[in-house]
Amino acid sequence: MTEERRIGMDKGEIRQLEETAYECRKKILRMCKAHQAGHLGGAFSCMDIVTALYFHSLKVDPQNPKMEDRDRFILSAGHKCLAQYSALCHKGFFPEELLDTYGCLNCRMPGHPDMKKLPGIEANTGALGHGLSIACGMALGLRKKGLKSRVYTIMGDGELAEGTNWEGAAIAAHYKLDHLTVVVDNNGLQIGGDVTKLMNYQPIEDHFKGFGWAVRKIDGHNMEEIVSTLDSLPFEEGKPSLIVARTTKGKGFSKAENVAKYHFWAPAPGEMELAEKENEEELEAIRNG
Amino acid sequence: MGEKKSFKKALNDCLNEAASQDESIVLISADSGPNSGFKEFIMDHPDRYFECGIAEAAAESVASGLATCGFKPIFCAPSPFAAGRAYEFFRIDIGYMRQNVKIIGRNSGFSYNDLGPTHYGLDDIALVREIPEVVIFAPQDSDEMEGCFREMLNVKGPVYMRVHNNALPVPEKKREFDPYKAVVYEEGSDISIISMGNETEQVWKALDAIKAAGIKPTVIGMHTLSPIDKDAIRLAARTGKIVTVEEHFLNGGLGSIVAEVCADECPTKMKRIAVPNIYCTSGPYEELTHLYGLNPEGIADTVINFAKEKSCSCSV
Repeated sequence: MTEERRIGMDKGEIRQLEETAYECRKKILRMCKAHQAGHLGGAFSCMDIVTALYFHSLKVDPQNPKMEDRDRFILSAGHKCLAQYSALCHKGFFPEELLDTYGCLNCRMPGHPDMKKLPGIEANTGALGHGLSIACGMALGLRKKGLKSRVYTIMGDGELAEGTNWEGAAIAAHYKLDHLTVVVDNNGLQIGGDVTKLMNYQPIEDHFKGFGWAVRKIDGHNMEEIVSTLDSLPFEEGKPSLIVARTTKGKGFSKAENVAKYHFWAPAPGEMELAEKENEEELEAIRNG
Repeated sequence: MGEKKSFKKALNDCLNEAASQDESIVLISADSGPNSGFKEFIMDHPDRYFECGIAEAAAESVASGLATCGFKPIFCAPSPFAAGRAYEFFRIDIGYMRQNVKIIGRNSGFSYNDLGPTHYGLDDIALVREIPEVVIFAPQDSDEMEGCFREMLNVKGPVYMRVHNNALPVPEKKREFDPYKAVVYEEGSDISIISMGNETEQVWKALDAIKAAGIKPTVIGMHTLSPIDKDAIRLAARTGKIVTVEEHFLNGGLGSIVAEVCADECPTKMKRIAVPNIYCTSGPYEELTHLYGLNPEGIADTVINFAKEKSCSCSV
């Protein structure tokens, strides 16, 4: 059955999404356990947004991943793909057993996503600064075909230093791609530390506004706010939309939260057990309201 | 073969013919559409023309995105930018994603003879042939441009076509065109000459002098660099000596490709006429090609001297 894009949610559904986000985090831990490594920090920081997209907004069908009028989701920050893999798996795009092959030779889930290997992946990302311009091309193509599909992209805040993003920002505004949305996962940290100390692209909202985008700032872990923001797209007719989502790198694992070195995680002894325990506790807390 | 056709007119004719039959063809531009000879297409099909501004990298990503929706994007820009500046976007968004995008690198070699190394297209083949599964064309005359263009659109995947600023020779007789078979213009037993793209015409012009020196060459034109026609190289190797001619850097282009095939299959003495890997000077086009031995006189000198060399100079 084709899933239509949904608008509006009650409290119970919000709680369901919150639970799904932590179920997905659990799957991320499962992949990290299989490989004994993975880009945890960014995957955990964008997990709530990715969950809202796949389980509320995106019109996609796991049974028909190439459906012509599907919405497109491009994870420009491809290293966060553990979040996308877990969501695709949870949605039913592929069986759970595949999660245990993460990192194996010839596995279908490389450290950066490969559209030829896994259903539901729309672009081969991982080299930063590519996703937005690819998304522009998709948005132009979908519009030319007369399809109502939307295009969503998640970018990292450190990624904004790649100049091609600004070429894409101009193109999206020039062509009035109001069916295109970028979410910046603004966790404030990149591999080398504080994003603003390394290269300051704040205020992100103003830069995009200057290019002609409609912009909103949200709490990227408040599911109700994420959902209501996605429901109100496009923010302005004739303008691409930017959501700057303030997030916590490593959100969901106390030792990793706001710690740059957990950008890439090779679990130290005891860490995996702790992460799994915290994940179970969080799931329990959500289920108990 | 006296008549000439400008590369813009040739591209224009090819695109107009193809676009009228195939609605999926769209044109991407980085302020490079009209200068590529595509004014008519832009006028006739404004809804199939996507200007990206002077932003070649984004233009190639946009092309990739359009291709994912079933369109057949053509992006034409000066080769140093189409292949060089946008390299990573070509490699990943078009190459790795196996998108049906066609990149035309025009004004290759010393086409921008006044502008110097910023605008020389001397490394495009070396760069693009490292991207797996990309078909690479370098047509040598106007008929081949048509043939390569048609095949470029037939191929379901990324294609790079190298085009020079020089007007293309118009063949007097129609020749059957096989996009994956090199053209053997002449078969002789003394030495073989293999060239590509615009340099093939210079080889033809050198032939009188070469023959006047009593040398019978095998003359081969490579309009397709990838996949390479190995049979043609094996044929060339039979003469025992091969000269390659290209308006490209010495490393990574036609000469390298031929040398690699020879090293693997048929070790053969070679001379590579190409541009040394330096920051070349600028000046009048004919003087530049003279400087690097790429004009008919330079080609004839190299071929004659090499053919007259009696024995192998390498120590074994």
